[in-house]
Amino acid sequence: MKSLSLLAPALVAVAAPALAHDYLIAPTRPDRLVIVDAEAMAVDKVITIPKAGPLPSLPVITPDGKRIFIIIAKNEAISEIDIETGEEVNRIELSSEDERVKALFGMDLSPDGTTLAVYESPVKLYKNHYEVEPTRIALYDAATGELKTRTEAPRQITVLAYSADGSKLYGMGREMHVFDGATGEKVGEMPIQSWGQGEYVQPDVLDAWSQFEVADMVTTPFYTFRSDGDPNDPEAYRTGMLTLDLETGEMVMKDAEATDIFYFSTVADADRTRLYGVYNQLASFDLASAQPIKRVDLPHSYYTVNVSSDGKTLYIGGTLGDIGVYDAETLERKGQIDMPDGYSMSLASIRLFTRDD
Amino acid sequence: MKHLTPANAKAKALDEARAEGRDEDGREQDMRDEDGRDEDVLAMNALVGCTTSFDPGWEIDAFGGVANLCQPMEADLYGCADPCWWPAQVADTLNTYPDWTDKAPAADQDWRHLQSVFPKLKG
Repeated sequence: MKSLSLLAPALVAVAAPALAHDYLIAPTRPDRLVIVDAEAMAVDKVITIPKAGPLPSLPVITPDGKRIFIIIAKNEAISEIDIETGEEVNRIELSSEDERVKALFGMDLSPDGTTLAVYESPVKLYKNHYEVEPTRIALYDAATGELKTRTEAPRQITVLAYSADGSKLYGMGREMHVFDGATGEKVGEMPIQSWGQGEYVQPDVLDAWSQFEVADMVTTPFYTFRSDGDPNDPEAYRTGMLTLDLETGEMVMKDAEATDIFYFSTVADADRTRLYGVYNQLASFDLASAQPIKRVDLPHSYYTVNVSSDGKTLYIGGTLGDIGVYDAETLERKGQIDMPDGYSMSLASIRLFTRDD
Repeated sequence: MKHLTPANAKAKALDEARAEGRDEDGREQDMRDEDGRDEDVLAMNALVGCTTSFDPGWEIDAFGGVANLCQPMEADLYGCADPCWWPAQVADTLNTYPDWTDKAPAADQDWRHLQSVFPKLKG
């Protein structure tokens, strides 16, 4: 987990051990970056990003905790924000006059903070027609915003995540693609669509949210059907859980329960004992067995779920303008954090980071 | 294609170009693959730039009911507009109508300010 020491005054550090404190980064319409004191369940700071609409979407924080990179401006630019001053310090424009480039869901910063990896979907704009170009992984110098290298990559990748040592970059798509962390070249893949052949039909995965920073583990629900199942049997439709350990590179897919509801996204806690899934319900699962533990109904749909660094509290967000706060064990609602003016979070990822106060 | 009649200049140009073995910008092109068959048009096959997805989602859920639709529908409105997920059902804020939600940053409170959108007439 990325640990920050942004606001630790030297005096406090000498007088007493600094206390780690959880914060959330919640982007909202049309141009806001809301920093939330998670434990106080209160908004700490609101940063306005110039020309960022209609939605700043995916934020990534630097290892030193001082800056945030975030996809903005119709997903055609990346803004670098100084958290303390709230100022934009750099902007990477992805599109040019004759090429429209979108970065939808895939962006991550290397663990050493030097390289920003972005999954790009480019289209050439000609006078009378458009020409779709190969999707690609672009690696930018995080300090300058300069493009370091760009490599073709398979289509349909959503989440990008660096391995804990930075040597690899994982791209979740039809398969779990593995890229070289330094060059972006594809070096391997792990099967997703061909998982469970013979026993299950091709699994369906759609994961658009980055929320792997607490456990260093990418997780997502998937949906499938028993190969020999009766279409009239509700138990034949299966929900599974996929986990990718960013420290070891091990990926696991397991059948979890009959598909009677959906989860849009899942998260693993820091000690990797639990998984939590969210959509119209919030549910907990045992991570090792992928078996369900508990489920509660929610007041409205939420896309995202993140977990406190001590594993005791869940923060569910996205869609509308509130972050629901839940006890991770009982799944009881402890409260909610209202975004300023109730502005919608839509598809934005809600990230968690810890800094010493 | 023989059952389709070009209805405007662009369609006529495409028809003529195809007949001549040239694309609409006048470049020569081979419309056949190695086996001599007409090549298929390849969809973008990407989760961006307006999806080709027509899966259920707005009218009924995957179980044929409504309990697994987003609730309320405003919760999912911008989640569908921002990635151009269902451009036929929801205005596309990714490319064509980026200002659609300018007067409605809080979907559940401001939805009355959202207007229908219509393609601009060309030519």
